[in-house]
Amino acid sequence: MTSAVELEGVTFAYPGGKAGIFELSLAIAPGELVVCIGPSGCGKTTLVKLIAGFFAPQRGTVRLAGRDATRDSVRSRGLGIVFQSYALFPHMTVRENVAYPLRVRGAAPAERHARARAMLELVGLEGLGDRLPAALSGGQQQRVALARALAFEPQALLLDEPLSALDAKTRVAMRDELRRIQRRQNIATLLITHDQDEALSLADRVAILREGRLVQTGAAREIYDRPADGFVAGFVGRANLIPGEVAGAERVDTPLGAIATPPHGRSRGERVLLLIRPERVEVAPAPGGVNTFAVEITTDRFLGATRQLDLACRGTPLRIETLSRGDVRFVRVPPEAVQFLAAA
Amino acid sequence: MPPPPILPKAMLPRWVTAAYLAYLAAPILLLLVGSFGELWLNTLLPAGFTGRWYREVAADPSFRRAFGTSLFVATATGAACLALGLPLAYAVFRARSPAVRALARGLYLLPVALPALVLAFGFILAFSSDALPWLGSVWLLVAGHTVLCLPYFLQAVVADMQRLGLGLLEDAAESLGGGARQRFFHIVLPALRHSIVSGLIVVAALSIGEFQLSNLVAGFLSRTYPVVLLQAFYGATGFACAATVILLALALASAALGAWSAGGAATLAFHRR
Repeated sequence: MTSAVELEGVTFAYPGGKAGIFELSLAIAPGELVVCIGPSGCGKTTLVKLIAGFFAPQRGTVRLAGRDATRDSVRSRGLGIVFQSYALFPHMTVRENVAYPLRVRGAAPAERHARARAMLELVGLEGLGDRLPAALSGGQQQRVALARALAFEPQALLLDEPLSALDAKTRVAMRDELRRIQRRQNIATLLITHDQDEALSLADRVAILREGRLVQTGAAREIYDRPADGFVAGFVGRANLIPGEVAGAERVDTPLGAIATPPHGRSRGERVLLLIRPERVEVAPAPGGVNTFAVEITTDRFLGATRQLDLACRGTPLRIETLSRGDVRFVRVPPEAVQFLAAA
Repeated sequence: MPPPPILPKAMLPRWVTAAYLAYLAAPILLLLVGSFGELWLNTLLPAGFTGRWYREVAADPSFRRAFGTSLFVATATGAACLALGLPLAYAVFRARSPAVRALARGLYLLPVALPALVLAFGFILAFSSDALPWLGSVWLLVAGHTVLCLPYFLQAVVADMQRLGLGLLEDAAESLGGGARQRFFHIVLPALRHSIVSGLIVVAALSIGEFQLSNLVAGFLSRTYPVVLLQAFYGATGFACAATVILLALALASAALGAWSAGGAATLAFHRR
């Protein structure tokens, strides 16, 4: 099947600096929702601008529905874009905003009106068509922006940090709403965010961007369970990254002490990086037993459902997440919870 | 316990404001009173009530002519500011390099720092030659007023472009399929209508009241109202007051006209398909 959006070896370097997008290849299938995630300054917005056509790549190809669109203008690409600050036209009513793409295409007023009504219904804003954007809440403005971007049946949807301007509660509700609408319209979508919860919960596929390069793409679970390196592990979810040296077939020496691991097939003396997810560390009642370490609590964050503890184990920090309410003096790391990453 | 302050804290700003307003309004009120007073000699207020001074100003041919000239110059200056200022503001706003933007800003704000007198002397030097013999023409007056007024117009419009995030709005319109013309008439012009209107109000008020440059550059037949008004103060007080009140009314009216016409134009452009 032809990809709705396909980037091949796309490079765009900002003049002078190291910032930009480098040798980036990514394909989005029709109807697929890809979430691109990375720390601020990693080139996320640049990526959107390259696909949208605001920037032209110095090397590489942008294809839309299989057609080379690298040199096409923004207008002729026909992509729906939702900007971080929504960019609603302040002097137009909600209905006029949503109908704008049809207006510039010369559609008759009756058709524009009907389409705007249908789109507002889709995003759950029927009845607010006569308001001005300034009279709407942030979440409602977000919906208008989405309705407007979808009104002309674009080939694909680009969402640049669409939820970052909303308060926490609205953000979670809008996230589900976004997913519902995207599914219903069955439109290829690239969503840009720095919020890992957003990425993991929304995406068909997650793409991790670091300093202008894609470091890993895959399903949310795959990224979380098998991160490509320490950066991905630390960026997606919380992580204990512990350096060590292979001491045996199922043993690694670390600052915590010797840790028993699953069989790893690495040679003795090799430097490795171990990943231990905080939620997989168990609280132990007493010393003794495999991978059981004495710890001291440095920070105790009670989060309601769980408790996040920063521990010190022989001076090395170890984060855990536990349901236990009592004192924590010993922890156990199940050997199967220890993963090997390429040492950075 | 400390003694209560003589003036409650909240009262002080009010008193200052009231005093300032009185100071501001008093001359205008006195002008109004004087313009209707029959006789005003060495007393606090004039004696008698008359409409005679207004009739005399209205009948005076040089005042009538100046009135028309001032209206024309203000209108033409407004039109010139709109025609030059809007593209210029847009170019300054869209300039990529911050250095270029800062330089442009410095340049277009220069006439504010420059005394109008300097500009007038420059005009006299440049346009009294045989090559450019335009001193005294009404068009040169319009050109001078445009130089003086443009900074205020640009300032208002550029600030509004930045506040609105006009670049992003245009990007959005482009992504939705809007062409350059459509973006200008559908987005840029209507979104900026408030600052265009307020810019034109300032331009009209400045142009109507401008004296320094007009006094030196205007020809005998192209004198503006303020230039002619100066003569009135050598005559009867009532006449001078009436003539000044008319200037005030003229400034207010042209400001209103500027607002109305620009508002109308923007609405028209917006509703055009």
